[in-house]
Amino acid sequence: MATFTRRALLGSAAVVAFGAVAYGGSRFGCAFVPRNHPDFFSLLDIAPDAPIARRIGERALELGSLPNDLPGFASALTERPLIRQALAEDCPTVRRTLVQDQCALDFAAQRTVIVDGWVLSETEASLCAARMLRPQQA
Amino acid sequence: MISDLRSGPPPREIVGDVCIVGTGPAGISLALELSKKGRRVVLLEGGGPVYEQDSQDLYRGQVTGHHHIDTANSRLRQFGGTSGHWTGMCAPLDPLDFEPRNDVPHHGWPITRADLDPFYARAQNYLDLGPFKYDFADWAAKLPAKPLPLDPGKVFTDVYQQSPPTRFAEKFHDAIRDDARIDCWLHANLTDIVLRDGSDVVESMTVSTLEGAQTMVRAKTFVIACGGIENARILLNSRKQRSAGIGNENDLVGRYYTDHMTIETSTVMFNEGVDTALYPEEIQVGGALLALGLKIHPDLVRRLHLNNNSAFLVAQHDSEIYDDDFRNYGWIAFSTMLKTFSRGHVPDRFAEHYCDVVDDLGAVATGVYRHAVRKVAPSSRASVFKIRQDAEQSPNPDSRVTLIEEKDALGFNRIALNWRITSDDLLKLRRTHEVIGAAIGAAGIGRLQIGIPETPDPEVAYSGYHHMGTTRMHADPRQGVVDADCRVHSVRNLYMAGSSTFTTGGCANPTLTVTALAIRLADHLAVTV
Repeated sequence: MATFTRRALLGSAAVVAFGAVAYGGSRFGCAFVPRNHPDFFSLLDIAPDAPIARRIGERALELGSLPNDLPGFASALTERPLIRQALAEDCPTVRRTLVQDQCALDFAAQRTVIVDGWVLSETEASLCAARMLRPQQA
Repeated sequence: MISDLRSGPPPREIVGDVCIVGTGPAGISLALELSKKGRRVVLLEGGGPVYEQDSQDLYRGQVTGHHHIDTANSRLRQFGGTSGHWTGMCAPLDPLDFEPRNDVPHHGWPITRADLDPFYARAQNYLDLGPFKYDFADWAAKLPAKPLPLDPGKVFTDVYQQSPPTRFAEKFHDAIRDDARIDCWLHANLTDIVLRDGSDVVESMTVSTLEGAQTMVRAKTFVIACGGIENARILLNSRKQRSAGIGNENDLVGRYYTDHMTIETSTVMFNEGVDTALYPEEIQVGGALLALGLKIHPDLVRRLHLNNNSAFLVAQHDSEIYDDDFRNYGWIAFSTMLKTFSRGHVPDRFAEHYCDVVDDLGAVATGVYRHAVRKVAPSSRASVFKIRQDAEQSPNPDSRVTLIEEKDALGFNRIALNWRITSDDLLKLRRTHEVIGAAIGAAGIGRLQIGIPETPDPEVAYSGYHHMGTTRMHADPRQGVVDADCRVHSVRNLYMAGSSTFTTGGCANPTLTVTALAIRLADHLAVTV
């Protein structure tokens, strides 16, 4: 039967301590490192949680011309330059403005869809639709 | 001079240089213009000086096509014609409306907008309008607010002018009565157009009262100016010498009936703070009362194969105090009387106005109450609007006026009106709204919800009561009843005046164009007669 020696115990404790210090130190240090964390789910909060927006989301999904899962929406939306900027932006007001500007660019470029009669930009229709998918997958 | 064929024995014959049938905006403008040029005019009116049920009954007919229309109530058979109840919106047709278009069959007049411009300018006075300026830029500096910040290459602000509205009977009665060169006869219903034997020349017209008093009118030239439906009915009924009806050698009389599709289904929601002040209300500026709408740029209309349209914003207020749904005949009569009394005069046709008010007393009381409350209630600016328009239809030979077996008191066959609204007309309007919605979205000022489904339902469309196209103008006799001078192709001295000559309907209310064409015809006849 193998014995658990004192040396082994101290070695294990040192490994754990080193790991803890390394992790804690890294966390502390990384707090000062600027990073770009795309957060598609938080962008969905831009789409209002109003009955009309939910209805548009449902109808947009029914259209069948939009992606039917969140990765698909994330991929499509991040192709839009101002949406990419919005994903990297922390200030909610600026994020909202960027999304609105992207919608305006969509309209100008005729990237529009008609959902429940509303003439919408593809971006906002996608946001409303993706929001409908989030509760099931998040 | 104004005489009444019902009073006393009829004259053996009535003689003039030009005989005009009809005393609406076309007939009266034409008569006054010809008189100014020294021509002797016989002006015939089938009705009397005021509304008379037995005369109005002659306009009754069947509706066999789209049913949101009628044949009798929309017209007035009396001195002054339908100007007795028009609403007064005026704009010229657009240059685009006159152009032949490869993508729209049968589109295009044999004249251009530029040909008509001088006459539009002269027509403004007849209709008590401001200067002949219909470009937004002409008015922009004087307006109290900015237009919506839309891309003008796609959607721009369009200008209409509002006539009081001019009632031709009231405004021009005395001028015609006192004009020695105008011989106007009331209750003189046209019952026959007589061609000189074997010729293409009208020799005379027979006129009659409903009681049978009859006489003959001789003139060098004859003009029929009885409106978009009646002009066709008269020609189709003139079968004694031409079996299909005068001018109908190519089966065109009555065809191409077009109207404006009055539709109010789509909705615009503007963002908070968007200044829409210019649009929902009429604006008094520079001697004119303006109404502003949204119009698609003509290049885009051509590129997207649309029909022409001008969209007006109708505010949807939360409070009914700001609703204008009380504005019916009673309110208009009340408003007219109030304005006239305030100037120290008794209104013309006081009894008619008074009875209109009595009939609609509820609406008048509502209007008075709401106007009073608006003075003290906090102002309410709507952010939700319905889009209302009188939308153009594509020319359609199957949309038509035909005769039916039933006859009226004068022995004329009554008409069936088969107004066609096609899915294509409605889908073009849907696409128009889509363009407006995209422009509003691109400007970041709101969103539009289209109220015309992808599978269109004609039930959303109502007649604008703008009867047009039934004796359309075209250089080719196989494609039109009258030529560029409004002369019936197959008759040397017979002319048509009014909206029946329109080759396309555009989206402008027709009265200004009717009047301009009448003035143009007067200039032409003054040279040729």
